[in-house]
Amino acid sequence: MRLVLVILGLVLIFPALPLGRWQAFTLDTAQFAFIATALALSWDLLARTGQLSLAQGAFFGLGAYAAGLSAGVLGTIPALLVGAGVAAASSLLLGAATLRLQGIYFAIATLAFSEVVRTLVLKAGFTGGATGLPVAPAFGGGWALGGYYLAAAVLILSVLTSLWVGHSRLSYAQAATRQGEATARVLGVPVVRVKLVSFLLSSALAGLAGGVYAMKALFLSPYDAFGLGRAVEALVIPIFGGLYTTLGPLLGGLLLVALETWLRLEIQDGYLVIYGLILILAILFMPRGLVGLFRPRAKPAQEEPRA
Amino acid sequence: MELLLQTLLNGMLSAGVYALVASGLALAVGVVGIVNFAHGEFLMIGAFISYLLFASRGIDPLVSLGVAAVAVFLIGAITYYGLIRPVLSAPELNQMLLTFGLSVLLQNLALLLFGADTRVVSPPYQGSTLSLGGLSFGGVPLAAFVLSVLILLGLYWFLGRTRLGLAVRAVAQNRLAPGLLGIETQRVYLLAFGLSAALAGVAGVMLSVMLYASPTVGFAFTLKAFAIVVMAGLGNLRGVLWAALILALAEALVSTYVPGGGGWVEAVFFLVIFGTLTWRSWRRA
Repeated sequence: MRLVLVILGLVLIFPALPLGRWQAFTLDTAQFAFIATALALSWDLLARTGQLSLAQGAFFGLGAYAAGLSAGVLGTIPALLVGAGVAAASSLLLGAATLRLQGIYFAIATLAFSEVVRTLVLKAGFTGGATGLPVAPAFGGGWALGGYYLAAAVLILSVLTSLWVGHSRLSYAQAATRQGEATARVLGVPVVRVKLVSFLLSSALAGLAGGVYAMKALFLSPYDAFGLGRAVEALVIPIFGGLYTTLGPLLGGLLLVALETWLRLEIQDGYLVIYGLILILAILFMPRGLVGLFRPRAKPAQEEPRA
Repeated sequence: MELLLQTLLNGMLSAGVYALVASGLALAVGVVGIVNFAHGEFLMIGAFISYLLFASRGIDPLVSLGVAAVAVFLIGAITYYGLIRPVLSAPELNQMLLTFGLSVLLQNLALLLFGADTRVVSPPYQGSTLSLGGLSFGGVPLAAFVLSVLILLGLYWFLGRTRLGLAVRAVAQNRLAPGLLGIETQRVYLLAFGLSAALAGVAGVMLSVMLYASPTVGFAFTLKAFAIVVMAGLGNLRGVLWAALILALAEALVSTYVPGGGGWVEAVFFLVIFGTLTWRSWRRA
């Protein structure tokens, strides 16, 4: 908790640090790191109910496109809200249809959903199709640090949501749903509603992150915004950092994106190798993530049994 | 009419390879109980083996079939031993994420080694066609279809008529009882996972001629195989044949009759997965 606050404090004063000629580059990298971390935190919100979503990239992309398309008319902040709204609305549709599915079935359904959405965006006329969509920078480009603080704001919002959910009654319902859906149902937990609320929060944050990304990248293409790479990133970060926590994805995201940026400079193609490797190693050797390494096992009974 | 017949024929021919890939996945899911997201990467490895043998030694893909089957079987067995066995009793989420990680790893490793280019194996008979009553068959797709059917027949014979095959089916039905009856469950898992990979590897060799070898070629087939397996019902081998046929026909019809169909073909599969899954979940609820 204290560490979370320290990191957020660093995020806020980061632009004021004397970094010399590296400043522009580090600020850029930091923005992408904040966006990826926000996306990872949003994925974790749904994962707390035991549902493995591969559609986080789709919500990210929907948010990015909705914000990118409406930014010219509405201005920056309302466009971002539109992005979050579109993502949340589509998650409601997807969730109503699929949240009765469990485990692998849900994962495949969400994967199918994101591929269908990508095809639609690719084929639709108003999205620019395969050629892509140019997006105006945040606040008309007038404020140099505007993009940075926007990304920081999304990160902080995600952290606060994650903390808030973690300390609310919802967290107990989520844990019960994850650890044994039938039991949870018997105990009176409205399982489908818990999942739906988590899904809604999760996708709204993902859409918001997508919108900020659009205004940072200034250009969207279906391959980039909806790429499976997004979904991979969104789930590797929490697993590496520590599932079902706030600190885990936060630490994991900042570390992994830094690592990724460095790798991208060293080797161009295939830098995702590291994500695959980390995913495998994390599952085999540190199932509780980075956070688990430093924290002694608090209550043995609390950890999951087989779902 | 002629166009329709030709379309149906093309669809049927591609159903063979789909059934091959999906049967492999169905084995992994049904027997070992592992949902293998890296299934398509085994296919990709098969395709690259075929390409490398052809490019360096001029070895015919028909010969590579055998080489790839053995090599990918071994890779599958090693994967089982090193990665799958430790997580057999872990939560389903961990298993899925592990194979997903393996998929990402293998895909990007191939990208590092070979680059993103697509490579085609082109033996002299690649462009050959046969025509029969106004319909034309591509020689290679026809051969791939016939081979797939033969391999699948072999698989059914193995599972239905041999003692080892019966052991595999027994383990698929019940995790515990076969062990008590003296069947080496771990070995059966190893065999089933290796076979699963080998089926994908063989399909990869065929695709290296029909389509191409590239680091990302496998992923599309993972998804298609999932669509087929999910439609058949997880682990149902016989259903796989029907599901593969239906999906391949649907795909062929869309690509012929829907304007600008090329891009929509992929969506057909996902709509089918999506529809089947949600329909099942609501019927059950």
